Amino acid sequence: MDTPKSDLLQGTLDVLILKIVALEPLHGYGIAQRIRQISRDVLQVQQGSLYPALHRLEKRGWLRAEWGEAETGREAKFYSLTRVGRKQLEAETANWDRLSEAVTLILRTAE
Amino acid sequence: MWFGERRAEARLSSELRYHLDKLTEEYAASGMSPEAARLRARQEFGGIEQVKEDCRDVRGRWLEDLIKDVRYAARGLRRSPGFLAVAVLSLALGIGANTSIFSLINAVMLRSLPVVREPDRLVLITRLRDEGKPASVSYPLFHHFRASLRSISVSAAHRTSSPTIVIDGLDEVAEADLVSGDYFSMLGVEPSVGRLLDAADDVLAPQSPAAVISHRYWQRRFAGNPDVIGKRLTIGNKLLTIVGVTPPRFLGVQPGRTPDLMLPLTPMLSQEEREEPTNNNLNMIARLKPGATVQQVNAEVQVSWEQFIRAVAAPFPEKDRARILQQRAKAFPAHNGVNPLQYDFSQPLFVLMGIVGLVLLLACANLSGLLLARAASRQREISIRLAIGAGRGRLVRQFLAESLLLAALGAVAGLCLSYWFSGVLVNMLADSGGLTLNVAPDWRVLAFTCATSVLACVLAGLAPGIHAVRGSLQPALKEARTGGHRRLGRSLVIAQLAVSMVLVVGAALFLETLVKLHRVERGMQTGGLLTFTVRSAEPYPAARGLAIRAALLERLSSLPGVEAASAAATLVIAGNLWVRKVQVQGYTYRPDEDETAALNVVSPRYFATMSTPMLLGRDFDPRDTAAGPKVAIVNERFARSFFGGESPVGRRLTSNDVTYEIVGVVADVKYRNLRDASPRQFYISWTQREGEQPASYNYLLRAREGDPLRLGSSLERVVSEVDPSLRLRRWRSYAAIVDRTIVNERMMATLGGFFGLLALIIACLGIFGMMAFQVSRRINELGVRMALGAGRGDIVALVLREVTLMLIAGVVIGGACVRAMSGLAGRMLFGVTPTDTGVFALATVALGASALAAGWLPARRASRIDPMTALRHD
Repeated sequence: MDTPKSDLLQGTLDVLILKIVALEPLHGYGIAQRIRQISRDVLQVQQGSLYPALHRLEKRGWLRAEWGEAETGREAKFYSLTRVGRKQLEAETANWDRLSEAVTLILRTAE
Repeated sequence: MWFGERRAEARLSSELRYHLDKLTEEYAASGMSPEAARLRARQEFGGIEQVKEDCRDVRGRWLEDLIKDVRYAARGLRRSPGFLAVAVLSLALGIGANTSIFSLINAVMLRSLPVVREPDRLVLITRLRDEGKPASVSYPLFHHFRASLRSISVSAAHRTSSPTIVIDGLDEVAEADLVSGDYFSMLGVEPSVGRLLDAADDVLAPQSPAAVISHRYWQRRFAGNPDVIGKRLTIGNKLLTIVGVTPPRFLGVQPGRTPDLMLPLTPMLSQEEREEPTNNNLNMIARLKPGATVQQVNAEVQVSWEQFIRAVAAPFPEKDRARILQQRAKAFPAHNGVNPLQYDFSQPLFVLMGIVGLVLLLACANLSGLLLARAASRQREISIRLAIGAGRGRLVRQFLAESLLLAALGAVAGLCLSYWFSGVLVNMLADSGGLTLNVAPDWRVLAFTCATSVLACVLAGLAPGIHAVRGSLQPALKEARTGGHRRLGRSLVIAQLAVSMVLVVGAALFLETLVKLHRVERGMQTGGLLTFTVRSAEPYPAARGLAIRAALLERLSSLPGVEAASAAATLVIAGNLWVRKVQVQGYTYRPDEDETAALNVVSPRYFATMSTPMLLGRDFDPRDTAAGPKVAIVNERFARSFFGGESPVGRRLTSNDVTYEIVGVVADVKYRNLRDASPRQFYISWTQREGEQPASYNYLLRAREGDPLRLGSSLERVVSEVDPSLRLRRWRSYAAIVDRTIVNERMMATLGGFFGLLALIIACLGIFGMMAFQVSRRINELGVRMALGAGRGDIVALVLREVTLMLIAGVVIGGACVRAMSGLAGRMLFGVTPTDTGVFALATVALGASALAAGWLPARRASRIDPMTALRHD
C-alpha cells in the first residue's frame, strides 16, 4: 500500500473498463481488482466512479450486463463487451496512443 | 413505483452489496477480525447511497421523477378541492365538447364502412351536382361506365327504397337497398346464413326472385330463427324468397342508414328507370384494380362520360344541348361509401369544431389563471426551493405535472361527457328520422382526446409555471408583489373576453338566422296542419284509385275537429322541388331564359287547407273532371313573369304536351325550403294529371284548434273504413317537416347559443377569479388609499375601471377576429351578415353586462375593507 498512487485522467476510466472487460466478462469488483493488479497498484478505481461509469457504458450499448454465478456461487452482475463496445475500444486505444505520444514528445523536448 | 423500476433498484443494491462483501472477505482473509474487516470495507467503499444516486442519474430517472411529481401534485390538489372541481369541470366541458364534435366528424367522414373488405380501394363514380358534390347515375349510365372503365375490377349500383312488404300476411314498411349483382362480391362480404345475391339474381326475369335480409332485421323480425331461409315475401305484385342473411355488423354502403332488406336491382326497377339515360337515381361504387389509383379511374371517367353525354344530348335542340353538356362526372375515393351526410353536415361540423376549439381555449385560459393564482400563493415555497438549489426545469416540470394530472382527470370526465353529448347531437341531426351513426369512441377518437388533453395541459400549465419560476429569485424570499402576475393575469382575461366575444357574436348570428328563417314569409300556415300518406298494399287500377282517394278526402273533411282536408303530390318546404318545362301562350322566352316552372298536383281545397290566399279566379272544384277541360292555377310570381301586370285568368300554358287554361292566381309559397325565393309555379288538379298515377299522395288536415297531432288517433280507423287494403303511413305535423329542412340551422343556433353561454360563464368565472385574487393581493394598497380618504365608491370604480379596460380590449380584439373570420360561416347564415351592427351591439352589451357583474362582487368586497385591518395585513 506504499506505492504512490495516480489519479485517473478524466475519461480514461471508460477505456480502462472496456479493455479489462474485453479480456473476459467480469463483475464490478473484479474490474476494480484487475485494474489495480495490472497497474501494479498505481491506479485505484473509486467505487463511487466505477459503478456510475459501468451503468453509463451499459446504457450507451458498449457493455452488456448479465447476471451469472460468480466463483463463490453467489449471483453477480457480469459485464461483457458488445460489438459496438469493441469498436469503441479500438478507437479510444488509437486515440490514447496518439495522445500519450504527443504528451511524451512535449515533456521530453521541453528541456 | 413501477414494477421494472423496483426490480432495477433491487439489482443495483445487490450489485453493490456483492462488491462490499468481496471487499470484506478480502480484508478478513488478510487477517482482520470480521468486525474490523467490515468497517474497513465500508470506509473504502464510501457512501453507498451516493453511488446509488449517481447510478440512478446515469440510468435516467424521468419516470421516477414524473411519478413523484404526479404524487406531489395529487396531494396538493386534494388539499384544495374547490380549485380541483372548477379546474376539472372546465376542462371536462372543453375536452368533452371537442371529443363529441370530433366523434361526429369521425362517424360522418373518417370511419370506413364496417365489415367491407379493403374499403380504401373503393371508388364512387358519379355525375356531379352544380356545386361539385356527388349526384347519382342512371341505369344506362351505370352499364356504360361498367363496360368502358378499365381501372376498376368490379362495380355495383345501389339505390335506397322504402317499400311496403307483406310477410306471413302482415304488411309493414321496410328500408330496402336495391343492389346490382356484383354488390356483395365487390364489397367482399360473406353471408352469416344462406347465400347473398349474385349476378344470376340481377336479371330482368329471374327464375326465383331472391331477397337478402340484414342481420339486425333477422334478429328483430324473426328472432334470429334460421328457418327464415325460404320464406316468401311480396312487394307490390312481386313475390320474392329470402335466401340469406348479411353478417352482423354490415350496414350497407350508406353511413347513417340501416337497411332491412337487400333486393336485386334490375327486376325491381320500372321500365322507365331501366331505359331512360337521364333517370338518375343509382349510386355506383367500384373496386380499384390492384395498382390502379382513383386518379386513373377519374381520367377514364372523363373520357367515358364525354361519350355518353354527347349521345344523350344529340337529339336535343341546340339551345338545350349546351345545358346538358355542362354536366360533369367524377370518381371519388369511397372508403366510407355513398355518404351524403358528409356533404350535408361537413360545413356545420367544421364550424362547430372551431367553436368548441375556442371553448377549450377559454377553459385553458381560465385554468391558466387559476394555476397562476395558485402559483402566486406558493411563491415563498418556490423561492425557498430555488434558493436551496432546485433546478428551474425541475420546478416547471412539477407545474406541468399538476396540469397533466388535471388534464388526465378532465379527459376522463370529458370522455364520459362526450359519450352522452354525442348521442344528443346525433338525435339533433337525425331529428326523429332514422339516422344510425356509430359515435362510440374508436382509436381515432381516443387519440384525439389524448392529444387535446395534452395540448390543454401544456397550454394551461406552461405559462404560469415558467412565470412562477422566473419571477421568484430577485425579490429573494421576501413576499413578492411583482407586477408580472397582474400583467399575465390581465392578458389571460383579455384573451378570454376576446374569445367569448367571437363565440357570442357567432351565437347571435346563428340565432338571428333561425329567427329570420322562422319569420320569412312562407305563403302558408304550417301550424295546426297534419300530414300523412296513404298506401294500398296492392296497386289499384287508375280509375278505382281516383274514386278511393276522393272518398277518403270526403270522409276526412267530415271528421270532427277538421277544418279542411286536401291532398298534394309534393309537400312544399320539405326539401323537394318538382320542375317542368312550360310554354305560355303569347310569351317567347329570351334565349338564355330558364324555361321551367315548379309544379304541384293538388286536390280541391288545397289552398284553403294551407291557408294560402287566393288572389284571383277560382280554386279547383268538382267541375274539373278527368274528361273536362284542363285547368291550372298559377302563383303570383308566375303571373308577373309571364303576363306582367295583366290578369292571367283565361290564358293558356302547355306542359308535357297538355294545354291548360289558367283559372286562378294564388300567393307565392316557398317551395323547396325556407331559404330559396318562391319559384314561378303552377298547380294542376289531381283529377287531371296525365300519365301514370302516383302510388301515393300526401294528405293534409287543418285542425280547427289545438295540436293537429290529436287528429291522428282516429285516422287509422277512418282510412281502413274507406278501403280495408289502405294503410296509413308517416303521419306528422307539418311544422315538424319544415323543421327537418332546417336541421343544420337549428343545430347551429342551439349549439352556438349553448357554447356562447358557456363562453360567457367561463369568461365571467375568469374575471371574477382574477379580480378577487387581485383585490386580495392589493389589500395593503387599498387600505392606504382609504386611509388617505378614498371613498367606497372610488374603490369600486377603481376595480371596475380595470374590468372595463380589459373588456374594451377584449371586445376590440374579438371584434377584429370576427371580421377576419366572417367568410367562414357566410353561407350558413340567412337574413343577417357577419358584420351586422345590431349583432355586434347585442354581443357587446351581453359581454359587458356579464363582465361588469363578475367584476362587481370583488369590487364590493374591496370597498368593504376596514383600512386598519388592511394596513396591518402583510
